[in-house]
Amino acid sequence: MLRAARLIAAKDILLTAKRGSALVQVILLGFLLVVLFSLSLGSTAKADPVAAAAVFWLASAFCLTILSTALFSLEETHKARLGLLLAPIPAQAVWLGKSMAALCLLLLVQAALLLASAIFLGRHWTGHIPIALAGLVLVDLGVVGLASLLASLARGQAVRESLCSLVVFPLLLPQFLAGVRMLAAAYGAEGPPPTDWLGFAAAFDAIFTAAALVLFPVIYGGDA
Amino acid sequence: MPVLALAGGLAMAVAQWLVFSHAPIEAQMKLTQKIFYLHLPLAWWALISFTVVFAASIAYLRTKNPRWEILADSAAEIGVVFAALVLATGVIWSKAAWWRWWVWEHRLTTTLIMWFIYSAYLVLRGLDMPKERRAAIKAVLGIVAFLDVPLVFFATRLWESNHPVGILSAKDGLEPEMRLTIFACLAALGLFWGGLLLCRCRVARLEERLAAFGEGKGDY
Repeated sequence: MLRAARLIAAKDILLTAKRGSALVQVILLGFLLVVLFSLSLGSTAKADPVAAAAVFWLASAFCLTILSTALFSLEETHKARLGLLLAPIPAQAVWLGKSMAALCLLLLVQAALLLASAIFLGRHWTGHIPIALAGLVLVDLGVVGLASLLASLARGQAVRESLCSLVVFPLLLPQFLAGVRMLAAAYGAEGPPPTDWLGFAAAFDAIFTAAALVLFPVIYGGDA
Repeated sequence: MPVLALAGGLAMAVAQWLVFSHAPIEAQMKLTQKIFYLHLPLAWWALISFTVVFAASIAYLRTKNPRWEILADSAAEIGVVFAALVLATGVIWSKAAWWRWWVWEHRLTTTLIMWFIYSAYLVLRGLDMPKERRAAIKAVLGIVAFLDVPLVFFATRLWESNHPVGILSAKDGLEPEMRLTIFACLAALGLFWGGLLLCRCRVARLEERLAAFGEGKGDY
């Protein structure tokens, strides 16, 4: 299963990078959101650490929605999805591969967003860096897993991005709260180290990874 | 089914009598506190509705019996309506008690997120796809949404809270008359909820039979 997942992830990353438009759109959208929020602060003000972290994760959420729906639409042309379903691999390998591809692409986008946050919001990492790094990875693992599970249900629908957003955003709120708290601590927010949130993020990852492994075959292969 | 709804209606009338004649007026919030006797039962039965959605979704995925889908759909509808009423009563109470229309405390926030999630569940009913696939997707969302609810609760509790503690706590400060009244309101709304759910399921089954007649598949 892991080998199949790696192959699917590599295929998706290669196709997304070659076509370029989805990744460029997503990075531009993320930049735009950070810039718009920074405009609201005025010309000299530095963003509050929690607000800066919230802007980062909000931009990440929008970018993730577009990335996830784009990854699942790769197989819609020429009915290539049937090829994946007929391959002698478990359906969960498709979910794992899509999640791995989404994680790589999201981390790339988030690197750009961190740069944008430093430039436009005046915020860069000053403390609790190990917790923030671990938090970033744990939160990303949870959000890409759940987004990959649910993006597959919107495939083929005319308004899949808005449908995906409507379904995914409320479900991801707990994980985003964890991400905001941990990033805010790195940006210098006052308060104790956010170690509780690390455990919370890990619990979210565990619960929804288990749910996705059980439920993904129902969504992905249901009407083959 | 009408018997249950009727019994629920009568029970709610008795409960209202208890609220305004038996339960004392709270010292700090005066008459505004009476909204608690509606707010809390609505919250409990909304959560129970979503629990029914979860259980029925699992049952549908295991058996593919459309009756479970109908039960999940009906419970989701009622849950969304009850959650909306919880939010409306919560907003009114919040303004009276804390002088703000909205506060980000964990119970109200959890209810708001649940309302969003299960509203999205209802939106899925309008998707253009084969019936069985749509039912399977709704079942998956019904399961995932329920798994998310405790996570939302704990996340927002970690974030911040100034909501009153639960009524089963020894520190809730409820007089015995208030406690009796709230449990009576819970039971009354529960009867009404049960009747509403059964009626809604029956309507949905009749709609399916009508649709089947229209397609020439029904039995006369």
